[in-house]
Amino acid sequence: MFRAPLTKVIQGRFGSPTHGITSKAIRSSAALSQTPAKAPEKIEVFVDDVSVKVLPGTTVLQACAVAGVEIPRFCYHERLSVAGNCRMCLVEVEKSPKPVAACAMPVMKGWRIKTNSEMTRKAREGVMEFLLMNHPLDCPICDQGGECDLQDQAMAFGSDRSRFTDINHTGKRAVEDKNFGPLVKGIMTRCIHCTRCVRFACEVAGVEDLGTTGRGNDMQIGTYVEKLFLSELSGNVIDLCPVGALTSKPYSFVARPWEIRKVSSIDVLDAVGSNIVVSTRTNEVLRIVPRENEDINEEWLADKSRFACDGLKRQRLVAPMVRMPNGELQAVEWEGALISVAKAIKDAKGAVAAIAGQLVDVESLVALKDLLNRNGGETLCTEQNFNVKGSGSDLRSNYVCNTTIADLEQADAVLLIGTNPRYEAPLINTRLRKSYINNEMDIASIGPKIDLSYNHQNLGEDAGLISQVCNGGHPFSKVLENAKKPAIVLGANVLERPDAAGIHTTVASYCKKLNKQGWNAFNVLQNNAGQTGALDVGYQPGTQAALKAQPKVLILLGADGGKVDREKLPKDCYVIYIGHHGDNGASIADAVLPGAAYTEKQAIYVNTEGRAQQTLAAVSPPGMAREDWKILRALSEILGTPLPYDNLDDLRNRIEDIAPHLVRFGKLESSTFGNLTEQLATSKSIENTKIDVKQKKLREYFMTDPISRASPTMARCVREVSGEEAKEESQRQAAC
Amino acid sequence: MAKYLGLDRLGKIFQIIRQSGGIKNAYMKLYRFDDLKVGTLVGTDKYGNRYYENPYYFYGRNRWVEYADHLNLEYDGSQIPADWYGWMHYKTDLPPIRDGSRPKYKWMADHSENLSGTKEQYMPYSTTPPKVQAWDPKKSK
Amino acid sequence: MAGREAVRKAVQQVRPILSVDREEARKRALNLYKAWYRQIPYIVMDYDIPKSVEECRAKLREEFERHRNVTDVRVVDMLVIKGQMELKETVEIWKQKGHIMRYWKESQDPKPTDFLSKFLQGVN
Repeated sequence: MFRAPLTKVIQGRFGSPTHGITSKAIRSSAALSQTPAKAPEKIEVFVDDVSVKVLPGTTVLQACAVAGVEIPRFCYHERLSVAGNCRMCLVEVEKSPKPVAACAMPVMKGWRIKTNSEMTRKAREGVMEFLLMNHPLDCPICDQGGECDLQDQAMAFGSDRSRFTDINHTGKRAVEDKNFGPLVKGIMTRCIHCTRCVRFACEVAGVEDLGTTGRGNDMQIGTYVEKLFLSELSGNVIDLCPVGALTSKPYSFVARPWEIRKVSSIDVLDAVGSNIVVSTRTNEVLRIVPRENEDINEEWLADKSRFACDGLKRQRLVAPMVRMPNGELQAVEWEGALISVAKAIKDAKGAVAAIAGQLVDVESLVALKDLLNRNGGETLCTEQNFNVKGSGSDLRSNYVCNTTIADLEQADAVLLIGTNPRYEAPLINTRLRKSYINNEMDIASIGPKIDLSYNHQNLGEDAGLISQVCNGGHPFSKVLENAKKPAIVLGANVLERPDAAGIHTTVASYCKKLNKQGWNAFNVLQNNAGQTGALDVGYQPGTQAALKAQPKVLILLGADGGKVDREKLPKDCYVIYIGHHGDNGASIADAVLPGAAYTEKQAIYVNTEGRAQQTLAAVSPPGMAREDWKILRALSEILGTPLPYDNLDDLRNRIEDIAPHLVRFGKLESSTFGNLTEQLATSKSIENTKIDVKQKKLREYFMTDPISRASPTMARCVREVSGEEAKEESQRQAAC
Repeated sequence: MAKYLGLDRLGKIFQIIRQSGGIKNAYMKLYRFDDLKVGTLVGTDKYGNRYYENPYYFYGRNRWVEYADHLNLEYDGSQIPADWYGWMHYKTDLPPIRDGSRPKYKWMADHSENLSGTKEQYMPYSTTPPKVQAWDPKKSK
Repeated sequence: MAGREAVRKAVQQVRPILSVDREEARKRALNLYKAWYRQIPYIVMDYDIPKSVEECRAKLREEFERHRNVTDVRVVDMLVIKGQMELKETVEIWKQKGHIMRYWKESQDPKPTDFLSKFLQGVN
């Protein structure tokens, strides 16, 4: 009935604070509740005469969940602070004159809670009646219809007849709709004032844009003044809203929940690897919603991952294309395309190189490597650069988040170097923010001044600061060294600098000092979903090796970053593009082979912490597009060097031979040999230049890959957010 | 006697050939229309079609059209304009050139023939947008 | 007496459909074959199919040869019954031309089996 099962409230940490809404209050109260005490004695309560033993401080609602009884609720959410304002969770407690709000009331010893008594039922019916009195009867045109908590609970707990007589609708509350931006549609008449969205914005997203105005019947949720809800996590309020007040704008009036098919999959638009559910109908991806995974995304999802799915229907490559003598790409049949590509590879006689892009899966990476090695090519690179000197990408611990995403929320001192986790990995930023709220975490950044949605210390932009901190000569070094669980997060873009080797080894050897038993402080925050997988199967990072080889044939496997262009390649180089979107890669290619996007194939992706997960095919590839590894397999057969796998299982066996951890889905293999980095280091010099991050403002967040660049929703976001940011800027200047 | 021997018909053939403008022209007419008839020229429309009448022939065959020469064999019943249609189909005995009561307005459209089977014919097409929009390499430049 | 004995024996094993022993089943099959064989010239004429009598007889033989290895008397009987039904439907012109031509399966493409042709045709 409820979209989140209650049992995890008990299993999970009681991290969520109990009082207050402003972040200051959250911070102090949470810190108090976190102070460790000796394991307190469990107290016994009775839920419907069933004895349950719970820790003191447990709320009635949680105690009932332990007993397996679900209490209806609107405002309560286990990942948000307790508000206790919807009154739906009222239950009777014996010897209590009034029913108590289960979500906010801690249990006392020996309490007898009655969840199905006459009083409880009457209380629920009454609350329901009050809620429905001012709720519009527009379920038939409401997007939440079918997945609405209010609908469900009205059915289960509401009265079976109405006392509503105002058929002329003279007294029903009506609220003006508000514009929350291009992603969230607000139909505020439907709002029941649970304030989940307000609490989410304040506590998790860290933007205090939303709030309530007015009291009683005049209460309204809104942004106080006319402005957009500017957050990279704004889509989550849609899931949180128990009614249809906040719904998805791009998905509005598209489908009903009972019409769609749901496929569990993995998101690839950032390197976090969020778990998602892809909703499809008639072979069309309609929307993407998060799936719960405590280790990765909890139950949130970043806006780009959620809303860029309409980019899967634009700018697609649907037929193989070959460049004709007149210089234009023309659609051809698969057979012709594969033969001309094979001819070019044959003619190159081993002078073949490959560059893997941002969204590539492990299967196609392995197939491409096998194909090239059979045809005399050894140059396989990833588009994103990384430190190649010293141990470089040879040691796995050098390029993954060793602390792991879930453990980052336990860190108490974090140094961010050249990264903006808020936009590079929004869900990792929520972990850091959680730690900031609950653990009094000290956080500092080296790089440009950015808004991380929480207070942090900006040490400066100079790269020289890195060696200063790592030598122990900086005040923040003390903080890191005194911390129980320190962590350093290196942005992937920092390691694209020419002095990447110096930064990498300096930080890695400093982290060796910081490491504790069972705690690894060294993290690299990747921002490409394909990067970790590519490095795992032995690709060289950076395009320079491929360009230096001056290949006769260059294979771009979804390389759309624009780092390769015709000027850097030999004149007669034959460029083959394998991918799913017509973007930078396809436009410079001599032959285009259409592949499948992440919703169209069963494929392995490795996230930034090195966790292998697989996507499942939700729809079929459009037109003549095929799964990427199958294209390479077919090409190999035409080349006369067939790859030894005909189906996915064989290919997975091959992958298991190369790297067994890649087929253990969802499991995290800890990386070893991290302490060898220092011994293998070649240089520790760092240039004194400024460190920059690519995504500083929200508008720079939305379009980072071929899918989101093709998405009309993301284009609208950029337009509206740019306008809003410009407006805010001018207001700020006018105020000065 | 001559009638009995069918000689009058022979004479008629010569008469038709003479009226048609010689053996060659008569042959061309026969080739174009699979028919060779004589009659009085009632009128010519603006597209060059000539309309004939001869009460000698039976009702239904006594009014006919010889399509404009430039059409050659590409003629079609729909090339008869609306004003001559009525006369051709015996809705009226007054051909348009002699009927002054016919309305004439500026907004009256020119006659258009049936284009089915030609290049200009109407072809229905889908107006629903495709679910997946393909990349066009020409547009991206 | 002997007949009854045989029946009893057969009943002991399995319940027969038509024939009690292989010899009888063989006779039935041969009779069906003969009936088809004699009917083929008329079928070719009536249905106006683009096949000659010889081709049809070759196909008839092929259809019977397909079940050459069937030894179970009951299966043979069942096949004979089905063949009889087919024959009846054909002779009575309950079928149409296409139904007759379906024996040759000329418009059916064989399904691809190797990876490359599967890939080119887009089947998995």
